[in-house]
Amino acid sequence: MRKEVWFGLSIMALVVITVFVLMPAPSQMTNGHLGLLMLALIVVAIMLGFPTAFTLMGMGVMFAWLAYAHANPELAIQQTLDLMVQRAYSVMSNDVLISIPLFVFMGYLVERSNLIEKLFKSLHLALARIPASLAVATLVTCAVFATATGIVGAVVTLMGLLAMPAMLRAGYNVKVTAGVITAGGCLGILIPPSVMLIVYGAVAGVSVVQLYAGAFFPGIMLAGLYVAYVMVLAKIRPDLAPPLPLSERNVDMPTDLTAIRSKFGDKVLPAMAQALRDPAHAGVPSRTVVREMMVATLPALVFIVLMGLTWHAITKPDIVTDTSALQQMGAAGDASEKTENSGLSEPPAEGGAQGSGLTEPPAESSAEAPSTTAGSTPAPATEPSAAAPSPPPVPAAKSEAPNAPAAWERLSTPTAYWIVLAVGAAILLAFYAMFNFVRFEIFKLLLASFFPLAVMILAVLGSIVFGLATPTEAAAVGSFGGFVLAAVYALLKLPPEKRRAIAATWIPLWLLIGASIVWFLLLKFEVVESGPPLWVGWISIGAAALWCLMSVFQVKMQQTVKESVFLTAKTSAMVCWLFVGSSIFSAAFALLGGQEVVEKWVLSLGLTPIQFMILAQVIIFLLGWPLEWTEIIVIFMPIFIPLLAKFNIDPLFFGLLVALNLQTAFLSPPVAMAAFYLKGVSPKHVTLNQIFAGMMPFMVIQLIALALLYIFPGIGLWLPNTLYK
Amino acid sequence: MQRLLLLVDKMSTVVGQIFAWLIVSLTLLITWEVFSRYTLGTPHAWAFDTMIMMYGTLFMMAGAYTLSKNGHVRGDVLYGFFPPRLQAALDLTLYIVFFIPGVVALCWAGYRYAGESWMINEHSNITAEGPPIYPFKTIIPIAGIFLLIQGMVEIVRCVICLRQGDWPSREEDVEEVDVDKLKEMVHVKDEDIAKLDEIVVAEEARRP
Repeated sequence: MRKEVWFGLSIMALVVITVFVLMPAPSQMTNGHLGLLMLALIVVAIMLGFPTAFTLMGMGVMFAWLAYAHANPELAIQQTLDLMVQRAYSVMSNDVLISIPLFVFMGYLVERSNLIEKLFKSLHLALARIPASLAVATLVTCAVFATATGIVGAVVTLMGLLAMPAMLRAGYNVKVTAGVITAGGCLGILIPPSVMLIVYGAVAGVSVVQLYAGAFFPGIMLAGLYVAYVMVLAKIRPDLAPPLPLSERNVDMPTDLTAIRSKFGDKVLPAMAQALRDPAHAGVPSRTVVREMMVATLPALVFIVLMGLTWHAITKPDIVTDTSALQQMGAAGDASEKTENSGLSEPPAEGGAQGSGLTEPPAESSAEAPSTTAGSTPAPATEPSAAAPSPPPVPAAKSEAPNAPAAWERLSTPTAYWIVLAVGAAILLAFYAMFNFVRFEIFKLLLASFFPLAVMILAVLGSIVFGLATPTEAAAVGSFGGFVLAAVYALLKLPPEKRRAIAATWIPLWLLIGASIVWFLLLKFEVVESGPPLWVGWISIGAAALWCLMSVFQVKMQQTVKESVFLTAKTSAMVCWLFVGSSIFSAAFALLGGQEVVEKWVLSLGLTPIQFMILAQVIIFLLGWPLEWTEIIVIFMPIFIPLLAKFNIDPLFFGLLVALNLQTAFLSPPVAMAAFYLKGVSPKHVTLNQIFAGMMPFMVIQLIALALLYIFPGIGLWLPNTLYK
Repeated sequence: MQRLLLLVDKMSTVVGQIFAWLIVSLTLLITWEVFSRYTLGTPHAWAFDTMIMMYGTLFMMAGAYTLSKNGHVRGDVLYGFFPPRLQAALDLTLYIVFFIPGVVALCWAGYRYAGESWMINEHSNITAEGPPIYPFKTIIPIAGIFLLIQGMVEIVRCVICLRQGDWPSREEDVEEVDVDKLKEMVHVKDEDIAKLDEIVVAEEARRP
């Protein structure tokens, strides 16, 4: 047998022997000691390579039985079985873990949508001018794609196939190339929506929403540090990361646009406008010009619509018609109470509600403001939108004519709005001033690859972080979005005639679906008074169902969906069974009082919170070398988490540090998965040692990021504190 | 023997794959519920219970499938370096020491747990008049039994490996990282990679 095998086995034997030597004689053994024994054995057992979930389960059952047998031998088996099945059931009915299969499903669908090639190409053209442009493009591609998919192996392999040849051909150093790809591919584990944070949230009992909000900026920071590093490196040592040759920066231009450019100049908007006014001279069909014009003005249009709706929403005074209608229904027709309610139902003023703008309440209720109704008011007032569709009772509506929406005036616009508007407009102006045809072409490429993914991620994340939807809901809608994305990209691959024929069937259906959604958005921006009626909603649902069914067959999605489904099942079974095992294991550990022994020991060290924190992070960092993140979180976090309260450490903050720390677990040999995936697709003269050496600077950056987050906790905690406290 | 093993693999796979489709219905159900609740203002009380049941059933029933494809996470540091015989010996021991007691306990405990639930005709108490919960609890022993059968097959595999010195084959399944498929997806051929190798060699030569 080989040397490393003997080395490994002898280390394990050493651990076992040490543990047995240190243990007191069986007669003096307490349950606490058993707990420690269990912990030592599990580390050895995991190293032996048996599926961890079942190691945990088996060991947990045995030690739980031992613990119960100590107390009451007759009931021991009974109690062990009860404990076990309850733990298993609690994982099955866990409302946090349910988002795991959904996010995983979304990831596989997006991965298979085949957009990484376009993404990388467009980003590499867009970033061509900056130093180390290919490396930066790789990092950005990885960050976006890995965030959407969360599958390290696939991202590293794909980037190894796409970015590695490009970088090596451009004369990049092999180590730099390998480092950029592996480090970038692992970003998806940290930047939310990531599965790791869900698992941590479920173990530590921290809200996943807060974890997502907290991990957002540290993730961006880490990606930013990577980018800064490669840019500085390219400036200092241009031989390691040379600038892109001009031939690689070439952007293909469609002939129509070249024609317009040669006649009317390089500025897109003026040139297009002239071409539109004088189609005969341009020699380009005006339909094409109109279409290109629409794409070109898209940023401005989006900006105007968004700012307009925001202005409308913040300057519109709070109307109480809806809420009073709801309260009247609740008030069971007592006339006097009704009037009181309508007067009192002023929703709590929020920033924009400066006194002058409040046009109501009607005078009739001003005299009487009894405290009895005040108590009943807030509860129904919190959900005016839910009550919106139901019309107010007829007599009440008549008596409250002054409350009708026509009566209000706009509130004064806050200064902040004007500042945002001015800055946005300035940026837009600068953008259009520099908008030449090459940039227009790159913009179109980005529009087809980068923006859909970015919008999807931000929509999923935004709706979670701002509390519009639970992580589960956002994950499910995200999966649906992943399916739409995959279908659309499959459509784009088809030949043009076929594409047009299929698109002709899709667009009407999309319009039907969109009708409800636009209506709903208008409701949210307070442009319309009520949500879409039920029948409109059902038409949209029907259209969506029809579209799903049709698209699966039209663009041959069967294989993609089938594979994603099976992979999702395997991945979720892997994570969730591990969870079943570990929750039985940690229950046994707690039963034996192992937790107390550890706690006593740690407290006896007399550490300050800072020392404890550093110790914990060092332990996790070291565990990351032999183990994977799933094992570290589900086995070792339950031991750390109870200690946090003793040292007054916020489990949320600890979780962010752990998530950042576990990034290193992916890059630390010998179990650095990323390196092996990259090795699998690299040319044969690229050695594993080169890849490992390339990863080292990025590991150092991760440690720097960890230190930064530790010194300035605001990086992570600012967003959750602002939003939720 | 090999045929029997593959047959059991097939059974676990088919069962796992059938239940895997729950992810599609889960996605659609939640998407629909989100639309219905937020846009139309008509939430459904039973949706939450149904979601949980779909999720729980999905991963429990996929346990044996994942085992049959060797998909459960292992501590790979040393295991990967071991020769097949040593791997098989370790696996066999640990299957008997940890797996069998653990899963048998789970089956038995699950059987009684579900039995009690059937007896009292248990309904979910998350919402008023929740849906019945006993079928969901019955999933525990059923998933446990499938897992146990698959575990037996794995034990036989270990024995065969101990005798022959190498692992008996498994049926192919969709892989998370299927390098060939990914190559095809981004239009990279093996020759391209081979060509790239010259660049790497050239670069090595330039460097002292």
